[in-house]
Amino acid sequence: MCTNHNKLSSNNPDLQAVEKQWDRREFFKKTSLGLGAMALGSLLNTTKARGNTSMTPNDLLNAFNTNKLGLPHHLPKAKRIVYLFQSGGPSQIDLFDYKPKLVDMYGKDLPDSVRAGQRLTGMSAGQTAFPIAASTLNFKQYGESRAWVSEAMPYLSEIVDDLCFIKSMHTDAINHDPAITFFQTGSQLPGRPSIGSWLSYGLGSDNENLPTFITLISKNGSGQPLYSRLWGNGFLPTEHQGVQFRAGKDPVLYLSDPENYDGHDRRNMLNYLGKLNDVAYDTYGDPEINARMTQYEMAFRMQTSVPEVTDTSDEPDHIFEMYGEDSRNPGTYAANCLMARKLLEKDVKFVQLYHQGWDQHGNCPGGVKHQSKNTDQATAALIKDLKQRGMLEDTLVVWGGEFGRTVYSQGQLTATNYGRDHHPKAFTVFMAGAGVKPGFTYGETDDFSYNITKDPVHTHDFQATLLHLFGIDHERLIFKHQGRRFRLTDVHGHAVKDILS
Amino acid sequence: MNDVSDFVLFLGRFHPLLVHFPIGFLFFALILEIGSKWKKNKNLSAVIPLALFCGAISALLASVLGYMLSQSGDYQEEMLNTHLWLGVATTSIAFLTWTIRTEKIKTPLNNSEKSNTTILILIILLVSITGHYGGNLTHGSNYLIKYAPFYKADKIVLAPIAKLEDAVVFDYLVQPILHNKCASCHNSSKKKGNLSLEDSIAIKKGGENGKVIEAGKALASELIYRTTLDPEHEDFMPPEGKTPLTEEEKQLLTYWIESLDSDFKIKINPSKSPKKILAIMASMLHFEGFEKEGETKLPTVAKIDEAILNNLTNNGFKIRELIFESHLYEIVLPGNTIKANNQNELDMMLAELIKMKENILWLSLSDNLVGDENLVPIAQFQNLQKLVLNNNPITDKGIAKIKKLSSLSSINLHHTSITKSSFNAFEEMEKLKKIYAWNTLVTTEDLENLKLDIEVILGSPSMISKTK
Repeated sequence: MCTNHNKLSSNNPDLQAVEKQWDRREFFKKTSLGLGAMALGSLLNTTKARGNTSMTPNDLLNAFNTNKLGLPHHLPKAKRIVYLFQSGGPSQIDLFDYKPKLVDMYGKDLPDSVRAGQRLTGMSAGQTAFPIAASTLNFKQYGESRAWVSEAMPYLSEIVDDLCFIKSMHTDAINHDPAITFFQTGSQLPGRPSIGSWLSYGLGSDNENLPTFITLISKNGSGQPLYSRLWGNGFLPTEHQGVQFRAGKDPVLYLSDPENYDGHDRRNMLNYLGKLNDVAYDTYGDPEINARMTQYEMAFRMQTSVPEVTDTSDEPDHIFEMYGEDSRNPGTYAANCLMARKLLEKDVKFVQLYHQGWDQHGNCPGGVKHQSKNTDQATAALIKDLKQRGMLEDTLVVWGGEFGRTVYSQGQLTATNYGRDHHPKAFTVFMAGAGVKPGFTYGETDDFSYNITKDPVHTHDFQATLLHLFGIDHERLIFKHQGRRFRLTDVHGHAVKDILS
Repeated sequence: MNDVSDFVLFLGRFHPLLVHFPIGFLFFALILEIGSKWKKNKNLSAVIPLALFCGAISALLASVLGYMLSQSGDYQEEMLNTHLWLGVATTSIAFLTWTIRTEKIKTPLNNSEKSNTTILILIILLVSITGHYGGNLTHGSNYLIKYAPFYKADKIVLAPIAKLEDAVVFDYLVQPILHNKCASCHNSSKKKGNLSLEDSIAIKKGGENGKVIEAGKALASELIYRTTLDPEHEDFMPPEGKTPLTEEEKQLLTYWIESLDSDFKIKINPSKSPKKILAIMASMLHFEGFEKEGETKLPTVAKIDEAILNNLTNNGFKIRELIFESHLYEIVLPGNTIKANNQNELDMMLAELIKMKENILWLSLSDNLVGDENLVPIAQFQNLQKLVLNNNPITDKGIAKIKKLSSLSSINLHHTSITKSSFNAFEEMEKLKKIYAWNTLVTTEDLENLKLDIEVILGSPSMISKTK
């Protein structure tokens, strides 16, 4: 009767002996209750107890084994994504959201009807006046799509017909860290998995020799700190954590063998270590042990895969010229863009770049120009490069920060200079590539770029859209943790279908 | 029947509450009777008249309130009458029994213990049947047994349809919505507002406020007006607590009334319906592939044997199912899997792919020394939508071999040796929209003679001059 008696979950003889001791009693305890419940269930409810009757239990089991999450839910448009995170909150008013009427209102106080009592940050809440600061940068329309771009982004303005601007982004948070955490994890409080971890968990890896989720931070931007939880796995298994590559010549340290060691017995070492960890897993059942083993194996494979993919020496000169001279200097934004392309070519699913320094509380025009100078050419080059390689077909490019900046000047407003405070209620991001409409602008703001007047897109909507492009219904990618079911978009969000091609 | 005062209806609504008293009291009378017989306990039998009296009085009250409620006219007459007269009968007999018990009337029954019990059982039967009819009136006649193990739902069985064009809009789309969301209150036995939405005849008839649909005028139709109101509005339907109509359902009903003149016989006409409506209809009927304008419909394909997939994986292919359980796959042969030393294996590997030729939607063979001859098997992949062949020694000859790929929407050929001669083959591919031809022998001038609806991406011009 008890055919399961000899099936033990452990592979270790000692542990098996322990298992056998409690086996029989547990078996009867469980089965007597379990069978009774099953019988009752099928009596009370003849169809539901067995689920979909067209599937045999074997089919169900197979389906579970092959793809237990049931993903993707629909045909994906995107296979991989590069998220160019512009940390600090780029000024939409000085870059894309052209507001010509502001010139006439220069220096006037921001009407109360516009601000409508909105909470400001402590940095400008105490100001006695909120003088309107029109952008001092020149705007022009470009491309067939006639998109407005300021003079700060000359390279990007050449490719506006490939971009999909969302001018009506809004978020809940007004300070950097909660806002970035909100964008990357769907929650302002730390502890939730980031977008890349969700994608890694949901869709798995396309190249087992490299991490599915890689983070690169430019060395030529500085500002508010970035914490590793932004690419953290939260409560998802640890192998879905983003792996940060260092900004510099050696993106991953200690890949090369130390002196006097030729590495020939490393495979053996890992095998023995694996066995030890197996015993530990059998004893404690902690999934983190498996995660650790996976990571050891990944590190082993990365010893060969990483030097190969980070080596840019075989890139022709014209590619470096396209990305800008910075791209020869490892760790800069431009070099990271180039590296991102190489990683994407190797089917790394999620490449996340961070470029800090977009926090122009003072000297906004100069700051925006400086930041743009470091990023504009490489951003445009990356999109162009992906396009000519046919990769924009299934690669999603996202450019954006955690919030926008205010129309009023923080601090002294002069004819040529002003600062701008954080503004969560309206800002611009753009996407390009897989599944989004090229040469398209979505959403509108009022004459002050302060409030959204048409088609608002909340951070959660943005995340839902992102998952949608990967074939995932954001309401159905769920992880149960501590008794609650979690989603990237929590209980909010809807995919913005209007921007999908 | 609007002349009934609100107050009467207000009181009437207490009927469902009050009816439970007679049921309880009268049942209790029987229990006392049985108890007194069983235990030979005189004390118990002494309480029976009181229980009967309470039962009779509450039954009377319930009947009066029930009559008031019936004035609303929301109920099916025939069943209502049965309920009414059964209720009256229960009340009368309860009173009669009480009088006999308390010996207010002398009858031969007074001392006959058997007949006493019989009468009580009769009362209980009556009260149960009355109650059952009452329940049917409120909840619908199959409420009680709907989920019974023996109950076979007499659902309207719609014949399965092979294609969208076969579906009658009303029967397959409108009717199911009304059934799910409206018919629990608007059916032939419970007609709230004297309206039934059970079938086309009843719908045409309308309710107490007149017609419920106005052909061609969606906004003038009560059905649309009420369901699209602000949910807080008094007239909003379905009322609070019931599931409201979804956005798609509202759009579909509106479309049916407005554009199809609420024709009960008309079938879906995919060529005339707006894409958005068509997509809603298709998804409601579980048809796939109507999601997006101009998008290639996804093919339905057979499951692939696990062994075939495993074999391909062992050969170095990366396999990814594009939609869960669709059996449609993306196949990638990672770059540099084929090198000069194992070039002869490529043909064998691609031959292996033929086993699942129907199931491949996206295929990538970039940077694997794929030559013109290797492309021969790929011509059979009729469902292929994306083909990535960059960095391979492919020429126009190879392209000519795959010109029959009728589903192909994009082909990536950068760093190959194709020229403008390949355009003849491209033009035969009906669905082709994008060609990636950076670093090939195709030049900007060549593009001028090309069909307009294919986009050819050549990359930055400066690069072409430099790489040549």
